Amino acid sequence: MSGTNASTLTPEEPEAPTNRPPSMRRIKLWLQRPYARKVLILTVLIGFLLLPLCWLLLAAMNQTGAPASDIMKDIEQTIFVFTLVSIPITAFVFAVLLYSLLGWRRVTGDEPPMQDSPAIRTNTIGVILWTGVSSLLAFFLVVWGLIELAQITANSYGSISADEQPGQPKSEIINVTGQQWVWTFEYPQHDGLTSDVLYMPLDRPVYFNVTSKDVIHSFWAVELGIKIDANPGAITQTGVTANKVGTFNVRCAELCGMHHAYMQTEIRVLEQDGFDSWVRESGGKKTS
Amino acid sequence: MSVDTATETKRVFGVEVPQPRQFGASGGIMRRLNFGTGLIGGIGLAAIAGWVTAIITPSSASNDTFAPMEPTYVYLAVLLGWAIGFMLGIGAFVGPLRWVVGRDITHDDAEYMAGKDLGRARYWKYTTDHKVVGIQYLIATMLLLGFAGLLAMLIRTELGMTWAELFSPSFYNSMIGTHGIAMIIAMIVAVTGPLGNFIVPMMIGARDMAYPRLNALSLWLLVAAIPMLISSMFMGGIQDGWSVYQPLASQAPIGMLGYQLTIITFAISTAIASVNLMTTILTMRAKGMTWSRTPIFVYGIFAASLMGLYAFPFFQYSQILGLSDRVFNTSFFNPLNGGSVWLYENLFWLLGHPEVYVIIIPSAAVALELMPVFLRKPLFSFNFAVAGIVGVVALSGLVWAHHMYMTGWAPAANYPFMLSTEMISIPVGFLVLVAIGTFWRGTAWTRLPLMAIYAVIFNKMIGGVTGIYLSDVPVDQYFHGSMFVVAHFHYMLMGAGLFGAMAGIAFFFPKMTGRILDERVGSIGLWTAFIGFQITFMSMFVAGLQGQPRRVLQFDSQFNISNWISTIGAYVIGIGMLIFLAAIITSWRSGAIAGSNPWGSKSLEWQTETPVPLENFPVLPVVTERPYDYGVPDPYEAELDARDQDLTEKAGIK
Amino acid sequence: MKKFLVTFLTVMVGVAIVAGVGAFNAVRQEEPPVLVANVVGTKKAPSGEEMPHAELYLDVYPNSSSQVPPPNTPSPINRVLLDGQPFYHPSTSLQVPAHSLVTIHFRQYDSGGEIYNPYFADVHGTVDGTMKWNGDVVTGVKPDEVGHTFTVHQYPESNQPYFFMSIPLPMNKANAKTDKMGYPVDPQTISVTFMTGEAGEYVWNCEFPCGDMYQEFGGPMQTRGWMAGTFDVVEV
Repeated sequence: MSGTNASTLTPEEPEAPTNRPPSMRRIKLWLQRPYARKVLILTVLIGFLLLPLCWLLLAAMNQTGAPASDIMKDIEQTIFVFTLVSIPITAFVFAVLLYSLLGWRRVTGDEPPMQDSPAIRTNTIGVILWTGVSSLLAFFLVVWGLIELAQITANSYGSISADEQPGQPKSEIINVTGQQWVWTFEYPQHDGLTSDVLYMPLDRPVYFNVTSKDVIHSFWAVELGIKIDANPGAITQTGVTANKVGTFNVRCAELCGMHHAYMQTEIRVLEQDGFDSWVRESGGKKTS
Repeated sequence: MSVDTATETKRVFGVEVPQPRQFGASGGIMRRLNFGTGLIGGIGLAAIAGWVTAIITPSSASNDTFAPMEPTYVYLAVLLGWAIGFMLGIGAFVGPLRWVVGRDITHDDAEYMAGKDLGRARYWKYTTDHKVVGIQYLIATMLLLGFAGLLAMLIRTELGMTWAELFSPSFYNSMIGTHGIAMIIAMIVAVTGPLGNFIVPMMIGARDMAYPRLNALSLWLLVAAIPMLISSMFMGGIQDGWSVYQPLASQAPIGMLGYQLTIITFAISTAIASVNLMTTILTMRAKGMTWSRTPIFVYGIFAASLMGLYAFPFFQYSQILGLSDRVFNTSFFNPLNGGSVWLYENLFWLLGHPEVYVIIIPSAAVALELMPVFLRKPLFSFNFAVAGIVGVVALSGLVWAHHMYMTGWAPAANYPFMLSTEMISIPVGFLVLVAIGTFWRGTAWTRLPLMAIYAVIFNKMIGGVTGIYLSDVPVDQYFHGSMFVVAHFHYMLMGAGLFGAMAGIAFFFPKMTGRILDERVGSIGLWTAFIGFQITFMSMFVAGLQGQPRRVLQFDSQFNISNWISTIGAYVIGIGMLIFLAAIITSWRSGAIAGSNPWGSKSLEWQTETPVPLENFPVLPVVTERPYDYGVPDPYEAELDARDQDLTEKAGIK
Repeated sequence: MKKFLVTFLTVMVGVAIVAGVGAFNAVRQEEPPVLVANVVGTKKAPSGEEMPHAELYLDVYPNSSSQVPPPNTPSPINRVLLDGQPFYHPSTSLQVPAHSLVTIHFRQYDSGGEIYNPYFADVHGTVDGTMKWNGDVVTGVKPDEVGHTFTVHQYPESNQPYFFMSIPLPMNKANAKTDKMGYPVDPQTISVTFMTGEAGEYVWNCEFPCGDMYQEFGGPMQTRGWMAGTFDVVEV
């Protein structure tokens, strides 16, 4: 029955209880109202104004050499997508706020307005649209996040011993100890070599066993995008594969006392030969 | 004292109504107790308790880590002495003590306690009238906000002076911790205290709260807790952030005891206030006020009280256990002796998360409450607003571990918590829908309360979206513990919470004080603060994106520019808030006198006289209409109806 | 007009309170006066180059006495809580010249015990990875005989060179002969030489649990002027 002309309605057609046109027609009729089109145009405009945020956020993050690992790249991609997905609803809300000041009637003065506004108690289509869209978006974000989390977890935790598969790069294990207020690193695969600077090999998975000798610290390798708390009395684990040579930062991300701000050290990602020669030179317990 | 008063009757609307028998005479010491005697009692008992403890504790007392225990015991005794002495001195124990000796609080006493005919003095006493308690809460909140705001200005000054350390790291850590907890306490009571107490009974058509004496108790417990918090700054400070994670808190100097006792006292105050509000709302609504006729503000206050009631005990327990670790050498949180640091984190965040909803739901509810009045149309989709509030309450207890994604506590638990955290954005979204639906096609009467709502919704959107980033575990792997988190929660708690509270205060100001809040000065203050707020926290987001951790006073020079900009913005906020404060002060003292209903509201609380008489309504009202009964029929709907008729006629249908 | 006056006054009073409280607390800092290393000539670096040489003298005392006053502590409660705790003397704000070789001479009067993290029982960051202890050249001490450490580490600033140095200061044995103040007559003497590069600001603290409270890392270990301080490398 779509496309029937109003003037040729036959007695079989009317929908109980009134003769209202079908929903699509209602939406088209609604779009003919002047404010409806303007609010939608304003939404699109504001959306475009907000769009550069997707890139600006990443620009702010990448000032010191990030991304230096696949995990960090994943994180940046997620931020990009989340920003993109959040823009429509945000733009719509801002558009309504703006239009309510510019488009619909405005009254100033000491007395309440003489004329009330239209008594819209609800609008089923609007509510369903909003609920549906926001739920879909939330669902999309959840699924994206869960899948990404599963991927990152598979790459960082677990099977530390079982990583010696043919064709796979050999993994490096580093024990991280946080203590008020210095990070120290131990390389159990290199005769207990210790260091205050985190040397990492390029393109090889590195697993960290993190613990603390006193209070809770948080081991944050900033440009590599990994973070795990260093808890006293427990060993937590994380892992990453650095894919960029350079000098990056380890910061403590959990308040741990007076010199918490100064609990930082460097990450030096070296190619395999550079890493090997460092191990050789520092053999034993000497550092920097 | 044990003379039975004869059976008496009272004339009520021309009818002699017999009164219940009362034992004991009216009056007594109770009539002479006030804030001054409370101070005397508190300081006196604190001094005695401290002196006695100092005498009986050997000066060489130390625990197994060689810490001197005498200062700890003395400070603990002083704090407990202060709390008990202050409550004794203010008259909090009058009821229980009289009950013990078999003496009633007579009708005259009850009227005295409600502040009848006492004039200004009733604000300094243990007054049970909900209107007086509301004003007292307002003053206490403003004092706390001022104290915490002062600390905020100092914090930003330190962060802005990137070339030097103005304060030592210990003092800086102490400032941020005290700022945090003072602001949290202030925001928890900001709407529920003044407006929940003053307005809600009138809004539901009752004469007072369900438990008037408990009402006064909850306020004065808060007042007793504030000096405990301030004293901690002089005892070495709270050097561990507002969340005082263990075991770091076990290393702090004795100021930590001040924090722990502040929270223990405040939790009791909150529990009492929650029970009071919930009982009042459940049982004392006016005749005819079914749940579908109850204003949304009442729903919001009820929800916040419910969440506070189940969540605050966790926080209290965590501090009691921490206190025990410190004073009695237990090891609840000492991993070297079998304790668990994750236990503390869980206990803390089990409160920590519902608490942010305790802060934001009342602000959202007051925003939704005032919008129909200034837009002259009913609240859009009242049912959805209720569904949003119910959804938030239901989910609020299921999301706490999103603060613990990075602790390594239970990596597998990150999945369900991520799910529940993303899901909670949906009921919150309902509230935003209701707000913009109410704006839709409304005639905006651009007074200060409504203009503030624009600020609230704007900030809420930014805070909400950045919260979605943080709810995603991999993204949180970068952002946790950075300034991004700080900016996010300031957008929610201050941007939406505090500005919403300011809107509520501006809205209810005529009813609470009898005067209209000066629009020009108030608006200048509000918008100055708003602009400063955007500058401060937008550049704080940038600092977080760049990688600045939180709770640091020195940082890499790449963060310098963001911090300079944030500091300038913070000063602008400070000036804006001071201007708003000036508006409140001038208007309260000499503003334009308000009628009983200057906003033309149809809600019950505006149908009382101003100043509101002691018993609110001469006759308890009966509710027969839906709330928000504003609005004229929609002309577009009328047009559609006309077209319908036209089409029906043309088709020849009767 | 009146409204404007009240507003102006409120803002001014608010700003004055903030400025006043801030200034008061800024002045009451716990930082002791700066101890500057004296340049005493030149010394040969391992590379063979002659570099300016500066020296610094620091003592570590187990507690204060009439002979050795405690560090200046503006906060009254700290004076009570830190009574009888160890501290570095005469100052913890150190300044050394850039592009130089610096030698620090320590005299350690305190006892000690087992250190939590054996990493800090070894010498790190000195010119040849060694230190001179009572005349002998060593690379570390036994982890259960540490008294204190002197650990200089990173400031959160990437525009300055990375610098890390940690020296264990061995303990005095329990049966050492003490004078009437309770200090050992023959304290442990340690000297280390390290090289400084570009100018920069660093911090240092002790990594041996010599304080009180949890893990004995509280008290003086968290108070500048006692067991933690600043370390500035400045151009001369």
